[in-house]
Amino acid sequence: MDYLVDLLAVILPFDWLEPTFMRRALVGLVLIAPACATMGVQVVSFRMAFFSDAISHSAFTGVALGLILSVDPRFSMIGFGVLVGCGVLFFARKSELSTDTVIGVFFAAVVALGIVIVSARRGLGRYFEGVLFGDILAINRMDLWIILGLFLTVAFFQWIGFNRMLLLALNPPLAHSRGIRAMPWEITYGILLALLVMVTLRAVGLLLVTALLVVPAATARNLARSARGLFWWASLIAAISAVLGLYLSYAWGSATGATVILVAVALFVGSFGYRLFKNR
Amino acid sequence: MPDPTITLEDVSVELGGHLILEHLNASIESGCLTAIMGPNGAGKTTLLHAILGLIPYQGRIYFGKNRNEKRPRIGYVPQRLDLDRGSPITVRDFLTSVLTNRPLWLGISKDADDRSQTILDRIGVRSIFHSPMGKISGGETQRVLLAQALLGRPEILLLDEPAAAVDITGEALFCDILEEVQNELGITTLLVSHDLSVVTTHARNVICLNKSIICSGTVAEMLTPDNLKRVFSPHVDIFSHQHNQPPARGKDPHGLSG
Repeated sequence: MDYLVDLLAVILPFDWLEPTFMRRALVGLVLIAPACATMGVQVVSFRMAFFSDAISHSAFTGVALGLILSVDPRFSMIGFGVLVGCGVLFFARKSELSTDTVIGVFFAAVVALGIVIVSARRGLGRYFEGVLFGDILAINRMDLWIILGLFLTVAFFQWIGFNRMLLLALNPPLAHSRGIRAMPWEITYGILLALLVMVTLRAVGLLLVTALLVVPAATARNLARSARGLFWWASLIAAISAVLGLYLSYAWGSATGATVILVAVALFVGSFGYRLFKNR
Repeated sequence: MPDPTITLEDVSVELGGHLILEHLNASIESGCLTAIMGPNGAGKTTLLHAILGLIPYQGRIYFGKNRNEKRPRIGYVPQRLDLDRGSPITVRDFLTSVLTNRPLWLGISKDADDRSQTILDRIGVRSIFHSPMGKISGGETQRVLLAQALLGRPEILLLDEPAAAVDITGEALFCDILEEVQNELGITTLLVSHDLSVVTTHARNVICLNKSIICSGTVAEMLTPDNLKRVFSPHVDIFSHQHNQPPARGKDPHGLSG
C-alpha cells in the first residue's frame, strides 16, 4: 500500500499531493467513494437511506463502548454498527412493524445510548468531533488496508449479486421463482452496508455518510439509460467528487468530507438540469 | 381427469396468527389453463406463493404424476413491479438479468440479447426492447413479465392477476397471447383472476376459493349462479345478454354484478 501511495507522487507530481497524508487520502477516497456509490444504487432501489442513517448514528455508541471497554474505538465502532444492522434486519423480519418503524426505534435507541454514555463519562466528548465530521486526512496504512479489503468485498458482492439484487428490488416473489432467496441476500447486503457505512464514516463523518451513498446514485439515475450506465455513472460521479473535493478542500482549507459531498451535490444539480433539458 | 401437475393435499397456511388457507385439496390438470377465482382476501395470491415455496404451509404440495415434492421450473407473473417511472432499467436489462448471472454492469452477452429479443418477438413487443421499464404501458409491462416467465422454460406458469391494472382491450390482448402460448407450449397454467369473462373465455378449469375451496372443476360445470353466490356473496348474480348489444341499463357488461 505504501508503494502505491509513493507511486502517486511520481505519477501525479502536483503540489497538493506532495504530503503523504494527501496521497493516502486520495487513495482512500478513490476506493471508498465508488464502493459507496455502487452500494448506493441498491440503497436507492430498496429505499434504505434511513437504514444507513441509523447505522451511522450508532457510531457514537460504538466509539463510547470501545473507550469504556478499552477496545480500539475504530473496531468497536465497526462491530457495533454491524450489530445494529443485524438487529434491524432481524426485527424487521420477525415483527409485523414496517421496516421504517423498526429502524426508527433502533435509531432512537443507539443515539440515546450514546448520549447517556458520553454525558455520564466526562472526557469522552473530545473523541466525537472525528466521528461527527470525519477526517480522511488522518487515515493511516492500516485504515487503507481496511478500505482496500472492503472495496474488493463490495466489488465481489456486486459481481455475484447485482442482477439478483435488481430482481429482489423489483419483485421478491418473482426473484424467488428464479431461485433467488431473499433472506440470505438481504442479510449479506445489510451487513456489508453497515460495514461500509462505518468505514466511510472516517472519511466524511456520520452526518454526511448517507450522502455519499445516495447522491452519486441519484445523479446516475439522471444520466443513465440502462442498468449498466447506472452502475458506471454512479462510480464515476463518486470518483470525480472524491478527487475534486479533495483538491478543493486543499485549496480552500475546508473540511475534506464536506467538500467531497458538496461537489457530489453540485454534480447532482447539473445532472438534474441536463435531465430537465433533455425531457423538454 | 388427466394426470395432475399440481396436487394440493390438505394444504393450510397461517400467517401472523391468521389462518389464510384452510385444508385445501385439489388436483390441477397438466397442460391446461386453470383459473383461481375468489373475492379479495380469499387467499388466491397466498396459494400461488405456497406453490412457489415462498411461504411456509402445512400439508403437502406434489408436482407431476409421480407426486414429487421437488419443484419443477416455475414461471411467475406478478401483478406489477416495484419500479418508479424515472428508473433507467430497460426491458433489455430486466429480461437479461433473469437469464444470466453475469452482472449487467459488465455488459450483456449476445446470446442473452438474442434470446430476449426472440421471446419479445414471440409476444409482439420487440419494439420496446431498449425502452425503460418505467416508461412502457401497463399492457406492455404485463407482456414483458410474461416474456420473463417464459424465458425460464417453465413447466408451470403462475399468473397473479396479471391484467388487473390494464384496460379491457389490453387485458383481452394479454389473455389471447397467454392462451396462444399456453396452447402451443402446453404449459400448466394457474391464473388468478377476478374477471368472469376472462375465466369463461380462456380457462378450462376453475378453482373457486374463499379460504377453503368452495368448488373446483371445469368452467362450464362450476361457474353456476349458485356457486358464484357461494364464492362471492348472495348479492352476485349472472345476467345473460346478447353479445354486440349494449347490456340492459344498470347491468354489468360482463354479466357479474354485485
